Amino acid sequence: MKDLTRMLNPRSVAIIGASRDPEKVGHIILQNYINAGYSGRLYPVNKNADTVMGLQSYSSISKIKDSIDLAVIAVPAQIVPSVLEECGKAGVKSTVVVSGGFAEVGNKELQDQLAEIATKYNMPTLGPNCLGVMDPRSRIDTLFLPTYKLSRPQIGGVSFMAQSGAVGSTILDMISGEGFGLSKFISYGNAAHVNEIDILNYLMNDKDTNVIVAYIEGISDGKGFIDIAKKVTKIKPVVVLKAGRTSAGIEAAHSHTATLAGDYETHEALFRQFGFTIANDISELLYYAKILDSEPEPSGNRIAIVTNGGGAGVLTADAISLSPNLKLAKLGNQTINKLKKSMPPLVNLRNPLDLAGDADDKRYGSALAAISEDENIDMVIVIVLFQTPGADSKVASQLIRMKESIKKPMIVISIGTSYTQMHKIMMESAGLPVYDSPTAAASSLEALLKYHMYKRKIVSLV
Amino acid sequence: MQAKSTLKKYGIKSIESKYVSTRKEALDFAGKDAIVLKLLSEKALHKTKAGLVKLNLKSDEISKAFDYLETKGKQLKPYKIIAQKMANSGIEIIIGARVDKQFGKVLMIGLGGIYVETFKDVALRIVPISDYDALSMVDQLKSKNVITHNGSSTKMITELLIKTSKMFASDKKLTELDLNPIIIREKDYDVVDIRMIQ
Repeated sequence: MKDLTRMLNPRSVAIIGASRDPEKVGHIILQNYINAGYSGRLYPVNKNADTVMGLQSYSSISKIKDSIDLAVIAVPAQIVPSVLEECGKAGVKSTVVVSGGFAEVGNKELQDQLAEIATKYNMPTLGPNCLGVMDPRSRIDTLFLPTYKLSRPQIGGVSFMAQSGAVGSTILDMISGEGFGLSKFISYGNAAHVNEIDILNYLMNDKDTNVIVAYIEGISDGKGFIDIAKKVTKIKPVVVLKAGRTSAGIEAAHSHTATLAGDYETHEALFRQFGFTIANDISELLYYAKILDSEPEPSGNRIAIVTNGGGAGVLTADAISLSPNLKLAKLGNQTINKLKKSMPPLVNLRNPLDLAGDADDKRYGSALAAISEDENIDMVIVIVLFQTPGADSKVASQLIRMKESIKKPMIVISIGTSYTQMHKIMMESAGLPVYDSPTAAASSLEALLKYHMYKRKIVSLV
Repeated sequence: MQAKSTLKKYGIKSIESKYVSTRKEALDFAGKDAIVLKLLSEKALHKTKAGLVKLNLKSDEISKAFDYLETKGKQLKPYKIIAQKMANSGIEIIIGARVDKQFGKVLMIGLGGIYVETFKDVALRIVPISDYDALSMVDQLKSKNVITHNGSSTKMITELLIKTSKMFASDKKLTELDLNPIIIREKDYDVVDIRMIQ
């Protein structure tokens, strides 16, 4: 297993191929390091310049007197092996090769050469053909995409690993639009040396990572993957999106089993068997990541719904009832008695609890206070339609306050545009997940429950 | 027949059967019971579709069915005719296994018989499977209430899965396996058809 600690938390970084030309990858990477406020020692390496962006530049890695924890390599593919060799000789602790032009274009030999050198020097090497790593805590950012194109997420507990650079950066951009934050981003490209097993192993032991999110196209070492898969989900949840659902057909399928148990089906079976949370698209990836990041283990499968819109309450009740393991809770007598005292007479005391369109922060507060103590309720969905007269920022603040004291999983459904989005960010930044549809909320609660059922070896709750 | 003894070694019960090469052998095997006659040939993988399975044959129907299959067989050489006791009715399931290039041995269960390709209601796990895996495989099927008779045959099915997993895990030569159909009744079952590929 290759240790990625120095790669993700380097005390010194060399950028090989750092350039004065703003269109060059090496320029953008250095710029990003400066923009991110990296506080370690930064060394541009460029054969033809004395300074790059005001920093003293070195003609080769061997000229730097300091010990280098991470070398980011952004030079043409043909010279990568010689640069990597120099890094090895100079005692560099780890490298990220962002350069493309290897196995992805049929240049397998060059890639094997790279892997050999990395192995010879025992120097964890990420890539080639990747975006590299980003960690908002240690303020490293090897991505060659400028910040005006791709917003960077805030600091948080979700770590994201992606094989594809393009899908990786798209999802990263999406995460930055969510209220939850990022722990590590690792784009590993062709996985010549460091592969998904090393990354899962690192993230499994990383104390800043609550949830691992993985976008996977193919797995390079099946048996090794099974070994790590068994371990990782016992420690923290892994949400996975696997590309390549449709199998290209199986050669010589003689049996029914060979026809039905194809490539995607087998990957899916593996993920299920070892408790991964399977996402079917990018939006599900984000839904499941945020609930698993912020919410505690539920005590059971009974859901209470509090809403300021009757229709939205019914739609959500439908979505809950259609979920494999979830069901609607029956409010306890004590809860009903408490609600009788605090709710206006027009409120029907049942689940979903419709607080009516004029519900304000106080009404939400009293309702949630009663519900939070009810032992017949395991999880809470709060629907706030911000289009209604009573719903404003005070309601959002009230929910954030209630979230602090409620020990049960609690999520919000808010559907709408700019005014709603503003409150979504406000609530999510405070650790309260917000969903834009009843089905998204229901499938996310199901995913949360399913993960904890797996950990406790419970097959079904209905 | 070798397949049947392999199954037996792992405690998997398959229906009584025998290769027959004459009418008389078929009639003797049947005795007073109804039987099934099947033509086996590498050239016909879907026996039901090809009309090569004759079901529920009473004594007076056996000779005619045998003659028919023998004629067909001569067109699909090499062939064998197998006689099998008729299984009591129940729900048809499939249990199968194969070797995946990346992850190794994989076990499958699904609603079986002629529905297997239509509904593709199957669940897979990497071999060897645990008790929890077996239970969650059954739970994953849309047809779980049908095949388990609302839960009363669940244990029998999960035990069958574990036995098949053990068999497939320890057999080094076996690369593909179909037990299809297995007829599941509330209290017992019969493996009716076996395909083992080495």
